[in-house]
Amino acid sequence: MELKGAQVLFYYALAFFVLIMAVSLIRARSAVHAALYLMGTLIGTAGLFLLLHAEFVAGAQILIYVGGVVVLFIFVIMLVNVREEITETTRLFTRQEAVAWVLVGAMTVATIIALRREANLLPPAVAPPEGTALALSEDTQRVGSALYTRAALPFEIASLLLLVAIVGSVILARTRRQEETFD
Amino acid sequence: MVGWAVQETTSFVSRFVEGLTAPKGVVDFLVLSFMLFAVGVLGVLSRRNVLIIFMSIELILNAANLNFIAFTRHWQAMGRISENMGHIFVIFIIVVAAAEAVIGLGILIALYRNRQTVAIDEINLLKW
Repeated sequence: MELKGAQVLFYYALAFFVLIMAVSLIRARSAVHAALYLMGTLIGTAGLFLLLHAEFVAGAQILIYVGGVVVLFIFVIMLVNVREEITETTRLFTRQEAVAWVLVGAMTVATIIALRREANLLPPAVAPPEGTALALSEDTQRVGSALYTRAALPFEIASLLLLVAIVGSVILARTRRQEETFD
Repeated sequence: MVGWAVQETTSFVSRFVEGLTAPKGVVDFLVLSFMLFAVGVLGVLSRRNVLIIFMSIELILNAANLNFIAFTRHWQAMGRISENMGHIFVIFIIVVAAAEAVIGLGILIALYRNRQTVAIDEINLLKW
């Protein structure tokens, strides 16, 4: 895999966008702003997926994450409504912040060492065989057939997981009055 | 001395520009994915607001997804694999992340109802 020409430009634009959004997310004072930054990060990642020819996953990312999870976050922000962090004097970070920085620094060093050592073990990218490139991407078709053949059992288990998640969240979030009414 | 410094600087700048415009392979995506992961870990470990911690967890999962997609593309371009199981993994990660967010936010609502706070250093009932 090699991105060339305009694709490099898109890579840089999306990478900087995603990283800026991610850093703004963990520094945001308002939870609503954080949700919007999360949305930006997810849309940027979907763009990177498109760059990597994963069209179906990019679409699923937009639909499920941006359309579902972020909206859920915004609803919970509305229900919880904590405004104390908006005042400038409130602490945003816990007292473990220094430990977190040390840990992330150690991770960075480990990753740099690993990449310097192992990147040569990754075989260099070669041009894909000619004649396989089609005008229309086959990605969605291949994901669909894999999902219904090799990954059929996990697919069914995922539906069960989602059912349990729906019921569990209703049980967790109901009030005492509702419990007494329905028991 | 000055000439050497100028020469070194120009060669560094030219190599830097060359690196910027060079074709991007799987390693560039690994680096980006690691940066995203590090930002997420920093958010999880250091923020006080539980909502922001949940959002940082989503960042971490996204970094893992980016790795899966980049490696699928890499091995496909190499001609080593023809099917894209990496994409299937990403779809399942998205499903599990959605379920996790739903349950976590349900717990968060119940917690807020009982304690009137979402700051994790004030939720210390299980701390010895």
